Amino acid sequence: MSESGAAPANGERRWDVLAREAAQRRDLGSEPVELLQLLTFELEGAPYALPIECVREIVRLRPITPVPRMPEDVRGVISLRGEIVQVLDLRRRLGLERVDPGRRSRVIVVHGGDGRVAGLLVDAVTEVLSVADDALRPASGEAGAVDELCVRGEEFVSLLDLDRVLAVDGG
Amino acid sequence: MARRRSQSHAGRKADQEFVSEAEEILERMRLDLADLGDQRAAGAEVDPDLVNRLFRSAHSLKGLAGLFGFESIRDLAHHLEDILDGLRLGRMPLDSPAVGLIDRAVGLFASLLESVGDAKAVAAASEPVAGLIAEIEAAKGSSAPKSVEFKQLDIDPSLLRALTEYEEHRLRESLRRGRHVMLVEATFEIISFEEGLSELSTAVREVGEVLSTLPAPGETSEAQIRFSLLVASDVAAEEVDALFDFPDTSVRVVAAGRAAAPSTAEQTEPAPAAAAEPAPAAAAEPAQPEAPSPPEDSAEVGSLKSISETVRVDIRKLDELMNLVGELVIQRSSLGELIGRLLADSGTARIGGEFVKVHKALDRKFRELQSAVLEVRMVPLRQVFEKVSRVVRRLRLDLDKDVRLELRGADTELDKLIVEELVDPMMHVVRNALDHAIEPADERVAGGKDPQGCVSIEAFQRGNHVVIAVSDDGRGIDVETLRARAEACGIVGPDEVLNEKETLDLIFAPGVSTRREVTETSGRGVGMDVVRHNLTLLGGMVDVDSTPGRGSTISMTLPITLAIIQSLIVAVDDQRFAIPLNAVHETLLIDPDDVQRSEGREILNLRGDALLLRRLSSEFGLRPVPAESKQFAVVMGMGESRIGLLVDRLDGQQDTVIKPIQGPVQRVRGIAGATELGDQDPVLVLDVSAFLADALGRREAA
Repeated sequence: MSESGAAPANGERRWDVLAREAAQRRDLGSEPVELLQLLTFELEGAPYALPIECVREIVRLRPITPVPRMPEDVRGVISLRGEIVQVLDLRRRLGLERVDPGRRSRVIVVHGGDGRVAGLLVDAVTEVLSVADDALRPASGEAGAVDELCVRGEEFVSLLDLDRVLAVDGG
Repeated sequence: MARRRSQSHAGRKADQEFVSEAEEILERMRLDLADLGDQRAAGAEVDPDLVNRLFRSAHSLKGLAGLFGFESIRDLAHHLEDILDGLRLGRMPLDSPAVGLIDRAVGLFASLLESVGDAKAVAAASEPVAGLIAEIEAAKGSSAPKSVEFKQLDIDPSLLRALTEYEEHRLRESLRRGRHVMLVEATFEIISFEEGLSELSTAVREVGEVLSTLPAPGETSEAQIRFSLLVASDVAAEEVDALFDFPDTSVRVVAAGRAAAPSTAEQTEPAPAAAAEPAPAAAAEPAQPEAPSPPEDSAEVGSLKSISETVRVDIRKLDELMNLVGELVIQRSSLGELIGRLLADSGTARIGGEFVKVHKALDRKFRELQSAVLEVRMVPLRQVFEKVSRVVRRLRLDLDKDVRLELRGADTELDKLIVEELVDPMMHVVRNALDHAIEPADERVAGGKDPQGCVSIEAFQRGNHVVIAVSDDGRGIDVETLRARAEACGIVGPDEVLNEKETLDLIFAPGVSTRREVTETSGRGVGMDVVRHNLTLLGGMVDVDSTPGRGSTISMTLPITLAIIQSLIVAVDDQRFAIPLNAVHETLLIDPDDVQRSEGREILNLRGDALLLRRLSSEFGLRPVPAESKQFAVVMGMGESRIGLLVDRLDGQQDTVIKPIQGPVQRVRGIAGATELGDQDPVLVLDVSAFLADALGRREAA
């Protein structure tokens, strides 16, 4: 992982983050921390993120073929250059309201730990974020798909645990 | 770090490649050795091809090991090759102690292969290798070839001189066995001699062995060429002659065999009798000392060459090729649609017409390409059969049962991928047959049966499917026990009424085994359900038939290829689905009034037979058509079973490439995969076998 791998567009925020990290490090007098790169996206207006290394590609919305007898969280399948991949409705998966995809909707194609490929339907993809691992806070409450919260400025980004996202009943 | 990993990964991959190839060779050797043992035990003459094959295997193994730098394997293979070369050239008799070491060498190879990648184990193995090599060397010295004199032969010494060492050995062996040796001489037109010669050789091979083919001296016109075939046969010369219907061919006795009365052969001497008088022996004498020619004789070079003409290809590369062809299929259908649009518009209809022609020509070539690619993937079932027969050999010993294995249809071809996946289910079925079905000999005798049991495997093509039937003449499936077991497992209720077929089908239910004891050989109640599951994944199905006391037959029906298949496109509620055409018998347009009901099931009178109907809309929770509208029934089936599937619309046939659906949900019952049609969005492919099983299965009956 590179040390300054944040997307150029977020220069300002990056410096902000780096400065904060530097300050925290000095405060704690701890070892240099690892940087994480996260892909952030929106669901119901709230920010979520996935580690960048599990993202294979991001594709624009295309017709999704519904698949009967699949759990409701699965919207259907799309074709990616000949590969047929299931698309999970991430809103539904996280217990949010199901809406029809809009103009900014994207499918994030991920590969899980066991090599399974899947598409995740999200409202919009926002940016790639570099954070130090000490910027992460454990998620409170009972374990859902949100693993940890990541501090970004004043707000929290919910970092998803992909394996839990992909653990669809019947899967 | 990453680089190091990838390097060792590459090394491991090479090792794996070596091991898999070497294992293949070893497997062939084991089979050939087993056959050799059988032939020797039966006192029959050892098939020279067998020894040749063993020799070539050792040779290939040596080359392979050398290439990958496995020295101990290479050295051992080299010595093995020596023995086998000596054997096939008759330098060493079959009962030589060295021959006994071949088995051990093969065993040692197997353990050497296991240690590949483990440096310590490799080093540890070097001692036994050296030991065995020393033994081979010692044994080799002690055996001397038997010599049979050629003096009494009535043959031109120049011909004898032209024989290679191997040919000479075969001649000596034939004489020793008392076979009739004869010279078949034939004259051919130069322009067509290759054809004529191969026809003649084929004809000769039906009655004997062609020891050597040599150009013959003699008067011929310039446009002709003469050949002499030195032939050994159990049939006397004049009978051989009578069998041939070739002009300008004569058969001459070189040495009368012991099998027939030699006097008869002499009395009825065929054509050029002048030369056939009892041998002026002196003529043949000078042949002996000069005869041996370099070992790289023509026959040998020919066969090694034929090995190198085949290319081993990673199946994944073939898959890639297949995918490309699949994508072309899709492009091609888009082209068809575009042409349709051109034709529909009067302004572009003319150019559209020209397009049609080009498209047709392209289409033809395309189909050729497609079938060529498919062809490459096709392999005969022989490999599976070979594996099965090896397992049977071993099981016979382990179980101490006398069982005969009959194999038919080894040439039946199937997609490589299917063949691979077939091995496990097939082994399972065969093991079951040997372990459970075939009774111990005393029980068989008591039941008035041949003490030797029989398991037969027959493969044949039926339409687009291959059927593999494994039959045994054992005790048959005990339906009472089966039923009791199924009840105990809670698969069937005590009051449920099942017919015979439904009861037999219970063996495919999870957890049901017909024998109480768990044995080493066959599983522990997981078994036939796994077999059914595996075959279903391949788009096939499995049927069982059994007669108590007489035996059972397990029939596996599989599609010939998983790659490109023709599908019928249907639509329900405006969503399209593909049904593999090889499972579709016919389609019917039916009126709602044609549908009858029985026990809550919908049936259709199909030319006097009751056809069970299923509605795709209700199966898949899609919107049904209004009750009064007509529907299409797709009559589909596999093996013996069939059902009618009701759909709203038929959208024609298309070439489809079935792809797996990737994602967190592993399997959806009734869906085999998805395919892309011209317009890019995926269309789901129905799993016909699941539909059949669900519709005809007993659980759905109530």
